[in-house]
Amino acid sequence: MSATVPAIEVPRTISSQRRTKDRIFSIALWASVVIALIPLLLIVYRVVRLGLAAVSVSLFAHTALPANMAGGGMKQAFLGTAMIVGIAIVISVPLGVLTGIYLSEYGSGRIASVVRFTAEILLSIPSIVAGAFIWALVVVALGSFSGFAAGVALTVIMWPIMARATEEVLRLVPTELREGGLALGYPRWRVIMRVVLPTAGAGVLTAIMLAVARGLGETAPVLLTALGNDFVNTNPMKPTDAVPLRVYNYVQSAYPAWRALAWGGALMLLLGVLVLSVTARMLSIRQQRRMR
Amino acid sequence: MRIHRLGRPAVIAAAALTLVAVACSNTSSTTSTSGGTTTGGFQGTALNGAGSTFAQPLYQLWSQSFLQKEPGAQINYQAIGSGGGIEQFTAQTVDFGATDVPLQSDEISNLPNQNYIEFPTALGAVVFAYNVQGVDSGLKLDGKTISDIFLGNITKWNDQAIASQNPGVNLPDEPIQTVHRSDESGTTAVWTGWLSAESPEWASKVGADKAVQWPVGTGASGNDGVAAGISQTEGGAGYLSYDFAKTAGLGIADIQAPDGSYVAPSIESISKAGGGLKFPIQSDTTIINSSAKGAYPVASTTYVLIYTDQTDQAKAQTLVDFWTWALTDGQSQTEQINYSPLPSAFAKDALKELAKINVNGTPVSPTSSTG
Amino acid sequence: MATIDAPPEAAPATPLRRRRRFGDRAFRWTTLVVSVGLVVMLALLLWVLADGGWRAIREFGLHFIIGRDWNPVAGRETYGALPFIFGTVVTSLIAMVIAMPIGVGVALFLNESGSSWIKNPLAVLVDLLAAIPSVVYGIWGLFVLVPLFDRTVQPWMSASIGKVPIIGGLFTFDGPGGDIFTAGVILAIMILPIVTAVTREVVSVVSTETREGAMALGATRYETIRLGVLPTARPGIIGAGMLGLGRALGETIAVALVIGNSTRITASLFNPGYTIPAVIANEFREATSAGVHRSALLFLALLLVLIALGMATVSRLLVRRTTRLLGGDVAAQEEAATSTLGMA
Repeated sequence: MSATVPAIEVPRTISSQRRTKDRIFSIALWASVVIALIPLLLIVYRVVRLGLAAVSVSLFAHTALPANMAGGGMKQAFLGTAMIVGIAIVISVPLGVLTGIYLSEYGSGRIASVVRFTAEILLSIPSIVAGAFIWALVVVALGSFSGFAAGVALTVIMWPIMARATEEVLRLVPTELREGGLALGYPRWRVIMRVVLPTAGAGVLTAIMLAVARGLGETAPVLLTALGNDFVNTNPMKPTDAVPLRVYNYVQSAYPAWRALAWGGALMLLLGVLVLSVTARMLSIRQQRRMR
Repeated sequence: MRIHRLGRPAVIAAAALTLVAVACSNTSSTTSTSGGTTTGGFQGTALNGAGSTFAQPLYQLWSQSFLQKEPGAQINYQAIGSGGGIEQFTAQTVDFGATDVPLQSDEISNLPNQNYIEFPTALGAVVFAYNVQGVDSGLKLDGKTISDIFLGNITKWNDQAIASQNPGVNLPDEPIQTVHRSDESGTTAVWTGWLSAESPEWASKVGADKAVQWPVGTGASGNDGVAAGISQTEGGAGYLSYDFAKTAGLGIADIQAPDGSYVAPSIESISKAGGGLKFPIQSDTTIINSSAKGAYPVASTTYVLIYTDQTDQAKAQTLVDFWTWALTDGQSQTEQINYSPLPSAFAKDALKELAKINVNGTPVSPTSSTG
Repeated sequence: MATIDAPPEAAPATPLRRRRRFGDRAFRWTTLVVSVGLVVMLALLLWVLADGGWRAIREFGLHFIIGRDWNPVAGRETYGALPFIFGTVVTSLIAMVIAMPIGVGVALFLNESGSSWIKNPLAVLVDLLAAIPSVVYGIWGLFVLVPLFDRTVQPWMSASIGKVPIIGGLFTFDGPGGDIFTAGVILAIMILPIVTAVTREVVSVVSTETREGAMALGATRYETIRLGVLPTARPGIIGAGMLGLGRALGETIAVALVIGNSTRITASLFNPGYTIPAVIANEFREATSAGVHRSALLFLALLLVLIALGMATVSRLLVRRTTRLLGGDVAAQEEAATSTLGMA
């Protein structure tokens, strides 16, 4: 499709006025880049500086203590996040991958369009809504705040991410591979599971990492479903702590000791999310190279 | 090539499961406990409580101390506000609820079952704090004046109403900037309850609750938000819970008691206000404006809610043991964090309330060495 | 997708074929059921919120949306959502006003920039902004941005622009603490990555013919972009903006920490305010079901979903339309939006 060249009356030489405008424009673009990067640098710097001050053995080895007692930590929050995100992964990865497979391999009909649209909507809703939804559905039904409820709330967010990302990645697998597998006599489902999915493996891993990076840092859904816990909790059906939740509470507290710990928790969250995002991106680049 | 048989997704799933398994199998306990007599036998079990932010420092201190008695009694208290405490107690998602305001009739009728106990655990107070240059702690104010300040009727520090109660104090001609709580809090409930009692105008215009529509002033979150707001503004004033105000370095007012004298908040004057407490706790039970001599007028207490008919033996035992301890040995810890203990006779009555707790009909009595 | 059956010689005996067909059908059916499950989950979400919020609607009706009074005091309960709608709209507008020019600028920079030496790391950095969790934005906003603005920007603006008649009222400094303006700035930082990512995709599909044609005529880069690229890409850029707006409308935790939590509607941007997600986060656990409070909050949550639904639909339509018109790769560009949203 050829686009029409806009009807501009452009003289042969470039007047100084036009050149100035062009230069101003370039400066403006540079300026916007600089402005965009400043907050990132400021945030990372501050979080690293104050967070490192709080990072110590006790942050990881000790559980929460009253603010006037020394040596408190966030051990229960780290373990709680691991449990909650673990539950969310166990539920949302299979569901998300299967949904992605459906959309990619069988997804040309009307049902698929509806599913895709649903995923888009779910991607856009505020996470607090997921929290309210699961509170009403799971917490009330089970009669208790729980790590499980928090995991389900995160699933509401992570499932659509997994689904759409998996679909995108599977679509990139060349049809020749599918045809080859079928030509060898494999049933369709085995072609998908044994050929398509593994080929897109790094891409699916990327999708999982992106979903986990998102789930790791979410506070709002956990706020309404997990209650929080000052102690290590190993029972998913009981109130559990989580790092974003603990940071959120400590941030608003009256005590400097707790606020210092909050920075430590924030740093760990930032690190976790950054590591996952960067790894995901590197995997994605490698996957794209494979696809060529 | 063969590795692809399992495929990466399976590896991911395995990793995730391992992560979950590790998290779940981690049974290491909490912080170190030093010495102390244990209840020889019963180790206690984990409990969950939620509610009042006012009580948080106290319950968390008690929780840590009690671990030395029963190392398994991990009492998880989350300060989600008095309203939250009542709500979660109603929904039966916690083992005990905590609230600064007694249950009201509509909340009682909303409960799934009416067999519960409600008892205070400690005393506190709400103070009027200010940051005015040249004016130290001890400014004398009565309820009507303070109500008018928060209503916006009195706008300057050198207003006649304030000056007449404080002869000899150099009050500047500057505006009063009030700060109030923007979050729901029992502190607000107590304070507005007192304002309603002191000023009919306040009672009709605003009323008393954990969160109200303040006619004037800025909102801040939590006690420290209010303290920060006051200390950052010349001429700032607001209300804070006593335990917090003590450490915030602000001027604290002496408030006029019903008998006309001005009383400064202190552990002693707050304790005196508790003298009027008695069971049963009603929805209008309050210790503000106590008639006892020397009692601080805006004193408050905080309540614990527990259903009497329990089904889990270990939990019921831990509940009884913990709160028995809190009402006896625990009372001596209150002062170190600026709370006041309950009057001892009243604490003994509270123990009788605890005796109502039973498991399937069998009463639960405290394990020996916590009594 | 072509389906090729295995050649007849390799056709297995009938039982195996039947088993194979069963396997295929079972697999397809499984993926279908799971996918429909996603739709069921959304339907369930809408129903749960509507069911929970019904009491509030029944009691207050339309007044719920236009009422200015949010009073949970027992005995005089009244719930009007206007302060939150107001705060949500204003903070999002501030975010858009700041993030759109900068985001489009960065996108154009990334697109026009020749050297991958700058482009790739820059793109990664901008995406990292999207990955930062909301609570980290919140703690930084509360302890760094709020005091900074309170001490410097706001008094200065109040003294300068604040004195200008009419619009000066917007910039009158009231006191320390969180406020609408700071919340808007934080939101701007948070939605910048998605505006950039989607704009970048949209702009990149503008046919090279357009560019080369313009340049052949002697247009400067500025003119090429302004007269050639932007007009065609405009619907898509608007779509990018709407995706960003959608994100801004729903952002909860960072806003809750810096907005000051006041239910009063005031003229000045430097006063504290409130947004719908923030009030849900702050009041939800405390809202008693004895009164209408909890129901009111659930209805607010429903409102949020409906708004997000509307925005997502319109913005995707706009973005898709632009890309299709320009013959671009809709899938790649949707992936850009998805992955940014996924990180967001």
